[in-house]
Amino acid sequence: MNNIISIKDITYTYPDAVSHAIDNLSLDINTNEWLSIVGKNGSGKSTLTKLIDGLIEADSGTIEIDGQTINEDNIWDARKKIGIIFQNPDHQFVGATVEDDVAFGLENQGVPRPQMVEKVDAALEMVDMQDYKTRDPQSLSGGQKQRVAIAGVLATRPQIIIMDESTSMLDPKGRKTVLDLIKRLRHDQNMTIISITHDIEETQLSERIVVLDNGRVVKDGLPESIYNLGSELTNFGLEEPFSSQLTQLLRNDLKLPEGFLNEEELMDSIWKLSSKM
Amino acid sequence: MEIIFKNVTHAYEANNPLASLGLDDVSVKISDKKFTAIIGKTGSGKSTLVHHINALLKPTSGSVIVGDRTITSETNNKNLKPLRKNVGMVFQFPESQLFEDTVEKDIMFGPMNFGMSEEDAKSSAHDMIELVGLDEKYLEQSPFDLSGGQMRRVAIAGVLASNPETIILDEPTAGLDPVGRKEIMGLFKKLQMQGRTIILITHNMDDVADYADDVIVMHDGKIVGEGTPSEVFNDEKLLTGGMLTLPQSARFAQRLSQKRFKFDKLPITLDELSTEIKQQINGD
Repeated sequence: MNNIISIKDITYTYPDAVSHAIDNLSLDINTNEWLSIVGKNGSGKSTLTKLIDGLIEADSGTIEIDGQTINEDNIWDARKKIGIIFQNPDHQFVGATVEDDVAFGLENQGVPRPQMVEKVDAALEMVDMQDYKTRDPQSLSGGQKQRVAIAGVLATRPQIIIMDESTSMLDPKGRKTVLDLIKRLRHDQNMTIISITHDIEETQLSERIVVLDNGRVVKDGLPESIYNLGSELTNFGLEEPFSSQLTQLLRNDLKLPEGFLNEEELMDSIWKLSSKM
Repeated sequence: MEIIFKNVTHAYEANNPLASLGLDDVSVKISDKKFTAIIGKTGSGKSTLVHHINALLKPTSGSVIVGDRTITSETNNKNLKPLRKNVGMVFQFPESQLFEDTVEKDIMFGPMNFGMSEEDAKSSAHDMIELVGLDEKYLEQSPFDLSGGQMRRVAIAGVLASNPETIILDEPTAGLDPVGRKEIMGLFKKLQMQGRTIILITHNMDDVADYADDVIVMHDGKIVGEGTPSEVFNDEKLLTGGMLTLPQSARFAQRLSQKRFKFDKLPITLDELSTEIKQQINGD
């Protein structure tokens, strides 16, 4: 198995805190995987992101990114491989125009101007925002802003994208646009996607779900196996998927198949029953 | 308090030839002691609308009547304290408004600013921290050492501590985990039951279906729909115009009706949906 990220036994405690924010955590993430990290507020999700991106340093343990154990000397190289998309796009804008904004990360990396222009254009094209190049980012809709923020991340060509609740502030349409874009990027650019989310429906897009609680990995498995936890999910701050809540309400009166049913499967079962109406 | 908007237009940068209309001739009544949800896309004017209720923004033309106060373009900024004490506003990302060195002082700031004695403000802080579901031990901590969800609760407690009659919430649960979201939504419903008026801006259509009595739908600075959640989510014009999305239950029902199922009115909550499905299959 080819791991783009390999985390071994890391522990981190915030200054003055009584308990560990991350407690002896190990996790391997495969190249091109779409992984969801879920858990309640305060379970350690954001701390883990900061550790992976080298914004804070673990008290013990190691983090390997693309085969390299990160340390003070190579952290800047490692960070180039990672792009983070945050929750609130408004906090991410620095440029006066969309293209300035996308160029910011490249400028930081000292990319020469001709190449920069080329990379900015390519990134804006990937998110389908090339027509907005000269607009003020503040004049855009939420979904458009988040797409520009993603273009800024893409311009530096990261191998790993971390979405830190990046769709939670968007309206349903903006959210769909962003998720469709991420799906496409993963497919076309072979990117690894790590999505930190509270939205159980969004986790259905991923291949694997890791549940954090008190800074530890408490569950790790295929989405179906996590959804099968049913009401236990609420202990981890999660909601049961819509289809599983509905299945439970119907099960007493209707004969439905065992186990977790996604929306399609539930709909088919209901239609089957209704054919005898 | 009943709130009435009469032909309210709000132009951002009114003197600029490129002025854009935040609100465009809006007339609407928000009922006393009800739970009203305001929905619409990002940029549709939802925040602009509610910022008029405590005069953070003033109409360019038209008037806003809040209880016995009338706000027009002429209203001056003096004497707005009584209004703002009665209309509490929880902004988006309220944690960014925290600034004191302890949680207790932060919660006390609002009520003391509105003239409450230190002693009363302190006791209010103790009541409110419990009401928002946090242990009293947090009162002594710095708000900046708390997790995002805890900070959100402290900020909400700070608004509630002044005991406002009307509470305006601008996406108060964005970024909270679903269990935290349910707790906070339950708290707002409880406050309504105790006789307060709740106005909620949200993108979460399931919350609208589960908690709201009335819904206002905004689009391009105008009000394009009004009614109960069931009326609004069954409004063909709004749906085909792409001005709103449906709660999960209604979406599921819509898809079910592609084969055999028929809904006179789309169910909008899980209970309504499961009842309908059982009735249509079992025929009773």
